[in-house]
Amino acid sequence: MKLSLGPLLYYWSREDTLAFYEQSAEWPVDIVYLGETVCSRRHLLRLPDYLELAEKLSAVGKEVVLSSQTLIESESDLKALRKLIADGRFKVEANEWGAVRLLAEARLPFVAGPTLNAYNPDTLAMLAEMGATRWVPPVEMPRQMIKDMLTALPESIHLETELFGYGRLPLAFSARCFTARHYNLQKDDCQFRCLDHPDGLVLASREGEDFLAINGIQTQSAKVMSLAHRFNELADAGIDVLRLSPQARNMQRVVDIFRALAEGDIQPAQAPAQLDRFMPAAPCDGYWLGKAGMEYHSVAHPVA
Amino acid sequence: MMLPAMQLPAMPQPLARLVANIPAWPLVTPASHAFALAANLVAWPSLREMDWTQIHGRRFCVQIRDISLSLHFSLHANGFRAERTAPADVTFTATSADFARLALRLEDPDTLFFNRRLLIEGDTDLGLGVKNMLDAVELETAAAKMPAGMGRVVLLLRRLTTQS
Amino acid sequence: MYFADLHTAFASIEHNLGGIKHLILDKLKDMKVCLAPVKNLLDDMSNPPLLELICPAGSLPALKAAVDNGADGVYLGLKDNTNARNFSGLNFDEKSLTEGIRYAHTKKRKVLMALNTYPQPATLSRWHQAVDTAASLGVDAIILADPGLMAYARKTHPQLRLHLSVQGSATSYEAVNFYRERFGIQRAVLPRVLSLAQVENVIENTDVEIELFGFGGLCVMVEGRCLLSSYACGDSPNTFGACSPGHAVRWEQTPKGMETRLNGVLIDRYADNEKAGYPTLCKGRFEVQGETYYALEEPTSLNSMDMLPEMARLGIAAIKIEGRQRSPAYVAQVTQVWRAAIDAVKKDRATFKAQPAWQTALAKVSEGSMNTLGAYYRPWK
Repeated sequence: MKLSLGPLLYYWSREDTLAFYEQSAEWPVDIVYLGETVCSRRHLLRLPDYLELAEKLSAVGKEVVLSSQTLIESESDLKALRKLIADGRFKVEANEWGAVRLLAEARLPFVAGPTLNAYNPDTLAMLAEMGATRWVPPVEMPRQMIKDMLTALPESIHLETELFGYGRLPLAFSARCFTARHYNLQKDDCQFRCLDHPDGLVLASREGEDFLAINGIQTQSAKVMSLAHRFNELADAGIDVLRLSPQARNMQRVVDIFRALAEGDIQPAQAPAQLDRFMPAAPCDGYWLGKAGMEYHSVAHPVA
Repeated sequence: MMLPAMQLPAMPQPLARLVANIPAWPLVTPASHAFALAANLVAWPSLREMDWTQIHGRRFCVQIRDISLSLHFSLHANGFRAERTAPADVTFTATSADFARLALRLEDPDTLFFNRRLLIEGDTDLGLGVKNMLDAVELETAAAKMPAGMGRVVLLLRRLTTQS
Repeated sequence: MYFADLHTAFASIEHNLGGIKHLILDKLKDMKVCLAPVKNLLDDMSNPPLLELICPAGSLPALKAAVDNGADGVYLGLKDNTNARNFSGLNFDEKSLTEGIRYAHTKKRKVLMALNTYPQPATLSRWHQAVDTAASLGVDAIILADPGLMAYARKTHPQLRLHLSVQGSATSYEAVNFYRERFGIQRAVLPRVLSLAQVENVIENTDVEIELFGFGGLCVMVEGRCLLSSYACGDSPNTFGACSPGHAVRWEQTPKGMETRLNGVLIDRYADNEKAGYPTLCKGRFEVQGETYYALEEPTSLNSMDMLPEMARLGIAAIKIEGRQRSPAYVAQVTQVWRAAIDAVKKDRATFKAQPAWQTALAKVSEGSMNTLGAYYRPWK
């Protein structure tokens, strides 16, 4: 099982971001995704910065992938996308179908991101035929459906499967910025308030239950998806890579625990107790089990 | 161009009082009996061809707010049946005038819901399912199957209310 | 010979096409080419649609209400999760669909069938059968979101017209053109996230017809990229065909007000004098840093009528009215108003003004009795 560091979904200061990736060079992850997938207004790092980071990380043996923006609205968004693809040194993760078109046209191999909505083997096979070498299932896709997808793929197709396995789940994208809205600001004059919320801004029900987290135009789960306790179920479902989504603090601890799981140094049943104090919120695993995403079922109490 | 629709009259006060004072029997109230009887006569002929098997035996309650009246009934292969006064699977609450407007297709249930004039409590899926199935009944066809000229009265009432 | 190839071939002779259309058709007939798609294509190209009014039909009476009140086309779906309004008791079976198509076609209106959820491996054949049903019953187009299903439709029924659903989440011309090149889609419904200036940029860079939402329930999120519903209750529009499906919703009148819960999570509580909205998460009230408010969006409906002249100028092919889950009464009221408005704007764009009576009628049937221009008006974002 390979481990990947997913694209940073939040907006951190330039120093914090650079420091995070500098440290990540030392972490036991195999793949690092770089780039801004959420908001085009976030500009503290630009493509040349990401490319420089990419060179550094690949020099220490990491596979580097550049992630494309998920919601493309304007011509300048497209310009940025074309530049990202034109560089050609690193593989690109396509997060919408415009990127797929440009990558296929350029005959470049790519990673099919989770928001391409590959829910069936026909679409997945098509992506492979256009150049996808790895795919990330939609984050809501249950284990059984992933298995069914892979079983139904023609044998001639070789695709790696990468699962979103740890972090606040990216659930929705909007044209509206909810962080700016919270501060009664317009999106075009948002004063970059996302900088104040390095793990998102939690939204609770009126009964005080933490429910969602807002991250600019993205809405995430308040709970942290974690499959640490189900690590031994992954290989059987055909998962080749487990994606860990960056968080502001203790990311190295999180990576270490998943690495220990991959090496068999700790057992999945032990993982939650070790992971707990490094998580920004309580865990959830419902999607993997085909249930509501917010649910959590510990392995000690298996699902009926 | 749309004209403001005529208000359906509220139920006259004396009648409302009378209806409200029908004693609530522990079992099936006369009002529920009367409703099931009327529904079998008026509505069932146009509903019987549809597939209601999913809701056979499910218990409905219609609460008419302005006259504090609750009708309890269920639906079976041979039509409506009055039920005991007990918590139902789904309860619809509105005024008599709004129920009448819904029945005549003059009002959209979602609009009433947004305006807090219609409340659906209990099994929402059941409630929405019945609402949608009733929407799928063609009023003209239904009216044609009503007994003794009632259908014509219904269509006339609807026309008067929309055109006023 | 394929649809899209023909399209490319004809793109350069779009002007004056009316005159040479029959020459082309005769020539192709000699070449034994399947004529139906060519004819449709030529019809479209010589007479591009402008502001067609496309109205929702969740039932046969709703379809008739749309047709009788002036819709140019209706859109509908089958009674299962092959479309994104999969609610109990709603939608069409083969019998009502046949009757609906007959009714609409007799009055020269179009029937578009939404097959806009994402087929899943265990039940893929259900979507394929739905495409076959649509083709055999003679709908005028199918509205799809999934590329795999588009490939099936194009291969199996090359004459069938394909529209890209809003659930396909295509917000740029690069994405729209992807579906055009691969599957020959002829129309795309854009998600309700672009400003009109951004829509214009799409139109300038594609020859796919563009359809926009004009009125009705407002998705705040990019359609097809929203999993809020499944996070709370396990079912999402992408797979199950419904957001906040009835089985997960509970309304209850309590001493504190009417409560709306989704799988147990309290998403709003309304005081007696407050208007309500649909039980979707994006219209709920939540607490953020000690402040309780509509954190994502108020209960409100989209109403873009004020922008009709601009939409006419841009050459928007069709305006879609949301609301297949609503009653025939809603369909009749909204269709009537929008028919009048579109007729007025087509007559004279410069002097068009939405009449107050139209706006009042629309506000009355709106969520929370409120309207917004949504993303079409940039400051909304």
